[in-house]
Amino acid sequence: MVNLALLRPEFVLSALALALLAADLLTPPGRGRALDWGALASCAATLALVIAGLACAGGHLGLGTLWAVDPFSQFLKIVILGSAILSLLLNLDYEGIPVRHAGSFSGLLLLCTVGMMFLVSAVDLLLLFVSLELVSLSSFVLTGYERASPKSNEGALKYFIFGAFAAAVMAFGISLFYGEARTTLLLSLGSPLGPLGLLGLLFILIGFGFKAAMVPMHFWVPDAYEGAPTPVTAFLSVAPKVAALGALARLLTALVPTRAADLTLLLSILCVLTMTVGNFVALFQRNVKRLLAYSSIAQAGYIMIGIVTADAMGTQGVLLYSFVYVAMNIGAFAMAIALAEDRRRYAAGDPYDLSAFDGLAGRSLPAALAMAFFLLSLAGIPPLAGFIGKFYLIGSAVGTRHYWLAVAAVVNSVVSVYYYMSIAYRMFFVARQREAPRRLSMGVSLYGSAALALAAVLALGVLPDRLVAWVQASAKFLP
Amino acid sequence: MIHLLSLITFIPLVGALVVLCLPKDGRRPIEVVGLLATALPLVLSCWLYAAFDCSDAAGATMQFVERHAWIPSMNVQYYLGVDGLSGPLVILTALMSLIAMIASLGIKERFKEYVFWFLVLEVGMLGVFESLDFFLFYVFWELTLVPMYFLIGVWGGPQKEYAAIKFFLYTLTGSVFMLLAILALYFQADPHTFDMVALMKIHGSLSLKFQIIVFLGFYLGFAVKVPAFPFHTWLPLAHVEAPTAISVILAAVLLKMGVYGIMRVSYTMLPLGFEWFLPILVMIAVINIVYGALCAMAQTDMKKMVAYSSINHMGYCLLAIAGCSATGFSGSLLQMVNHGIITGALFLLVGVIYDRAHTRDITVFGGLATRVPVYAGFMSLACFASLGLPGLAGFVSEFLCFLGAFTRWKYHTAVAVVGILVTAAFFLRMIEKVFLGPLNNRWADLSDMNARELVSVVPLAILMVALGIWPKWALGMMNATMMHMAGLFK
Repeated sequence: MVNLALLRPEFVLSALALALLAADLLTPPGRGRALDWGALASCAATLALVIAGLACAGGHLGLGTLWAVDPFSQFLKIVILGSAILSLLLNLDYEGIPVRHAGSFSGLLLLCTVGMMFLVSAVDLLLLFVSLELVSLSSFVLTGYERASPKSNEGALKYFIFGAFAAAVMAFGISLFYGEARTTLLLSLGSPLGPLGLLGLLFILIGFGFKAAMVPMHFWVPDAYEGAPTPVTAFLSVAPKVAALGALARLLTALVPTRAADLTLLLSILCVLTMTVGNFVALFQRNVKRLLAYSSIAQAGYIMIGIVTADAMGTQGVLLYSFVYVAMNIGAFAMAIALAEDRRRYAAGDPYDLSAFDGLAGRSLPAALAMAFFLLSLAGIPPLAGFIGKFYLIGSAVGTRHYWLAVAAVVNSVVSVYYYMSIAYRMFFVARQREAPRRLSMGVSLYGSAALALAAVLALGVLPDRLVAWVQASAKFLP
Repeated sequence: MIHLLSLITFIPLVGALVVLCLPKDGRRPIEVVGLLATALPLVLSCWLYAAFDCSDAAGATMQFVERHAWIPSMNVQYYLGVDGLSGPLVILTALMSLIAMIASLGIKERFKEYVFWFLVLEVGMLGVFESLDFFLFYVFWELTLVPMYFLIGVWGGPQKEYAAIKFFLYTLTGSVFMLLAILALYFQADPHTFDMVALMKIHGSLSLKFQIIVFLGFYLGFAVKVPAFPFHTWLPLAHVEAPTAISVILAAVLLKMGVYGIMRVSYTMLPLGFEWFLPILVMIAVINIVYGALCAMAQTDMKKMVAYSSINHMGYCLLAIAGCSATGFSGSLLQMVNHGIITGALFLLVGVIYDRAHTRDITVFGGLATRVPVYAGFMSLACFASLGLPGLAGFVSEFLCFLGAFTRWKYHTAVAVVGILVTAAFFLRMIEKVFLGPLNNRWADLSDMNARELVSVVPLAILMVALGIWPKWALGMMNATMMHMAGLFK
């Protein structure tokens, strides 16, 4: 029972998510959006619980047979909950969600969050699989939530087919792994894996690769991201990635260390591929959601550096980058939603076309500057938060003598500047479209979440010390 | 005054934030804040000059040091300080920023944004020269990029967008390799540190191979900024497309960051790598000098001509550094200061004529000296200073550059002298075509320089003459440090 008590935040959030689903049936028609606030409050309460657990933990917390509650997982849970809160804030000003199902929408989002919280704690392959499935199934539905939009349906279907395939392969991998190791528990592993176990591990890696959108398991990403309701896109582009990469970091650095199976070469190839393909394809996008989708593939590639190097600095880099990535990516999505909602009012056609950004500096200088800062932070330009994260990751690559990885990462950063700046180019250099109103109107909660993200991007860039110290304390696996 | 350097660096940042809060319609308050935020650092840097210890004993030490832990968990410090190498450049930066700000008052549209980016740019430039911690150094180095991108891209000429992104990508490519080199040094030091002063002392423990690789990383970053052949192609484009004041800043300050880096980092921290690269560096210097001058000769656009002459002048700096002597180092640093003043003035003057005639084509003018005598006078003065006429600033530094390089690289120096000849040729040709001969009637009602233009050019003209007659004002500040640097590896 001691172990169950450790899962209090997860239990609370699941209960609240189910309550939201039930409340959806009971709320009078047309008032469904009120439940959004319920979802926000649930996330905030869970976040408070996790943080409270952090305060009274005092080092070791104890270990279940299925999950580990350690500083590493607690840090990632906070990141995941933070991104859920920001995405729910974005959702408040988003018009695309049918009011009739607002409660079940936020309920599913919360369930997805619960899945991720389990995922980052899991030390048993079965729990890993089940939590990954919980994440996947709820994201499939969330992606297809705009039932009237063919793009949303297409994205969801693609996502589902790829997801089902990846899950099957992963389940097969787990069975192979079990065949050799005679256990699904990953804690007692120490001796080198045989060929069967290695094959199993590779298949498990495919499951993770799908969730974290590693190249070449990324084909679902652009369509799913473009089709999904934008708050969901914002959520999917950060939280599942962070969770899957965090779980993968635990799997490959602590549970199956290199002495058991050396995947460094394979991982570094995947890492370079992920960055490079993401960045180069992003160069040719004209839709801001697709552009950010490919950019997020590349961003996952940067985070993977920390998994490849697998030293202390690398693991810290994974955590640090995950944290700042949430702020800067959701911030960029907040601005994208604001511009798209605005563009819907004056122009037909794709509201997420890049031309929505035309002349933003003249319409609202703060909005343009904020977006520019998010993009520059994503590109890793100091003194913004993204730079600190990238500095850690590249530093760990140099420190562990993965020089080619470091070179690939910096060259990729330069390439990424080109497409990030293409948005800045539209905001600052191009005149506003004639039909566009002189002033940009922006919803309050969009404004709030963008301001929150901007504050994080600036403050963590200039004064990162507290975060860095926290990350250093958190980069410890319990076993 | 303990926080002098911080004040100099961050007053423009405060100004930038204030400007951001001002309404964009009221032009006057923005002008006042912009001028104040650039004038105060200049006043403070004059104080710095007065309080600077020029004695020989102080040559090896940093002055006005400020040192605080910034990110203790990564061992990153907020560490500022100046010596005879960076001090003159800080003063130059503060001076040229004020001059450029005065010249910017003519900017018509989106003035608020302009001043904001301009002030952020100044923070970055000042910080680069002052910081003694690599992390801080890199942050400031990159901080100059983004404002410059916007300043060129929004307020520039016809090809501004292309010039802006080319500048950004070029410089960023160089600097990310510099970042890798910084990290490599960090991990090589024991204990790991970004402290530049401490890193200057560990070169004995670095192998030749390591030094060469790290040197190349740094060199990529610096060479793009200098710009050294073959990384110079962004420069003519950026200079020509940028608005006048930004061309001034580019030429007067940004190019200096590259040479400063070579002297501060490559030479002192990686002596073996530097020594290994010297034969190539001196070749590059000669190419810069001769090729830059020849390219300038081929231009009919005045601004492009001045831009290529910058490549030529920065070649002198590189040549002098390759001499590895106190004379050479002093010459190089003095050349940087003089080039900043002279080329700054030249860009301002080209801007003056462009504002009136809306063309910079040398061939369409003629006989302007009768119509705009004041302008002709200043332009001729700046041209003569730039081509190295004795009595004016350029002569002293160019002479020192050649003197410093000659003992070690006789043939290279001899070839480089050709550059001086060509420089004289194209400047004289420009003066002849624009100011002498019969007046082209198209320009009969051209007006002479107005008060704002005079205010920005006159101080520079005075300095050109003053530093030509009595260079000790600048050399005195540099001397002790240059002697110390030259003696490091003897």
